[in-house]
Amino acid sequence: MSTDSDIIRRSRDSPAAFGELYDRHASVIYRYAAGRAGDFAADDVTSETFLVAWEQLEAYDLDRNDARPWLFGIATNLLRRHHRAEAKMLKAASKAASREAVGDDSDRVAAQVDAVVAIGRIAISLKAMAAIDRETLLLYAWADLTYEGIASAMDVPVGTVRSRLNRARRTLRTQLNLGLLDETENDHGRLAAAPRNA
Amino acid sequence: MDDLQLLREMRSDIGSAPPATLARGRNNLMSKIGSTSRPEATTRTHAPAKVSPIRIRRRVLMASAAAALLVGGIVAADVVLPGQSGATAEAAEVLNNAAAATIQTSDPVVGPGQYLKIETTAVYSAGSVAADGTQTSWLDKTGGQVYVPADRKREWVWNREERVPLESSSKAAKAAAAEIRKADQGRPKGQPSIVGILRAPGGAFYGNKPTAIIGTPLTEAGSLPRDPRALLNIIQERTKGAGPSPEMEALITIADALRTGVIPADLRAALYKAAALIPGVTVVDKQATLNGKTGTAIGIQSPDGGARQEIIIDPVTGLMIGERDVSLKATADFPAGTATSWTSVQTSVVNSAP
Repeated sequence: MSTDSDIIRRSRDSPAAFGELYDRHASVIYRYAAGRAGDFAADDVTSETFLVAWEQLEAYDLDRNDARPWLFGIATNLLRRHHRAEAKMLKAASKAASREAVGDDSDRVAAQVDAVVAIGRIAISLKAMAAIDRETLLLYAWADLTYEGIASAMDVPVGTVRSRLNRARRTLRTQLNLGLLDETENDHGRLAAAPRNA
Repeated sequence: MDDLQLLREMRSDIGSAPPATLARGRNNLMSKIGSTSRPEATTRTHAPAKVSPIRIRRRVLMASAAAALLVGGIVAADVVLPGQSGATAEAAEVLNNAAAATIQTSDPVVGPGQYLKIETTAVYSAGSVAADGTQTSWLDKTGGQVYVPADRKREWVWNREERVPLESSSKAAKAAAAEIRKADQGRPKGQPSIVGILRAPGGAFYGNKPTAIIGTPLTEAGSLPRDPRALLNIIQERTKGAGPSPEMEALITIADALRTGVIPADLRAALYKAAALIPGVTVVDKQATLNGKTGTAIGIQSPDGGARQEIIIDPVTGLMIGERDVSLKATADFPAGTATSWTSVQTSVVNSAP
């Protein structure tokens, strides 16, 4: 199978080849953007991401076989235009944080209610953290990028990614009452939930 | 449960992209990237050109009316009803007169060793978004010269000038613009600069051959119909689904072609006549001034009434002085009536290129 950089190399001579890159990655970009700012924003961000990518084709480093960090970097940038939609979504989700808001529907088992409440709490903490920390955390948890991928997407050193992720997770865990993060737990969480990042 | 697992759980509630949305997005993308194959590809065309080609720590993006228009285009109907009347009688007259005049104005003769110099001055909106979400928008001015050799298969030369914020820009805007310039200077080795001289045989800058209109390379301009209705049909066929409305996209495509400065006189005339067939095209201003030159502005409004695309024609020579996008609604950064982007074009024959 050809790598992303093969496709990009061919696209420089033939725009038609660029369609393959879209076919390969548009749906993950869409889903990521929809998760952050809703379907309307996702539609816009997905289209624009590939238009920007097309414009920046010459600047793409062909040594990088996986274009996802590059595309997610562009999408992250474009998503900032939709920060109001994102804030609105997080606000709506955060309303579920109190058990009362969920309602005591007897059909619902406690665990499900807990999950809804947890999502509300996550939304609260996502809303509370700095935008760059949130972006870093979601590129990791939702876009499945590695630390190196995030560093490349956001044009920052890997150490910065690490510290932003730590800060973001601390905020998250405080809100979820999960206690302080220790390294063992951190590794365990990654293995259990994020084989694609590993 | 682990915090990351909970966070990932949240993602599982998000649906996948509707296949129809992705298919439409792909069509849009392919029609847009096909249409950027022209010398001005990165100075001012469709949506992609309005997004800064640089990424720096303070993420930069061009505030783009075009981006909003892109979304608008998705919901707009993409059929022009046959039999619908075209431009207003007044606009049709201006355009048909321009068509007649432009045929009289013979194309400049470029002798052996000489160059056709196409000089453009452009203003377009720029913006940046800081990591905290604060947005700043302003207008950047830039210029460029394309030197087309007498033998068009030989090397074309394109000089791209710096983008400089207009004097009237806010202090914050000037600071953000300076940061973008600095980032371009400090770009990693091997990344092309966005300013300076580019050279390309046959005008294939960035690997793209110059086009007459979307889908037809300039070298094959002769194959396009000179019948205005047939020409308009081709334009609408090839821009289907793009732009805020099919009518506006057709006028934008015509402006794109005229702006290149290399369209032969008979095709120029046919393009004007095709514009006269577009419903909604009106005379906007008989004394429109662009970069110091005065002409007649004809234009078309976006379906939401938020913007107007105009082309400005010298009524005497029938040459396009330039074009502009006028924002009809006030935004946080610009009052209503601001030309959020414009390009003026001037051609001459010169004996050498840089």
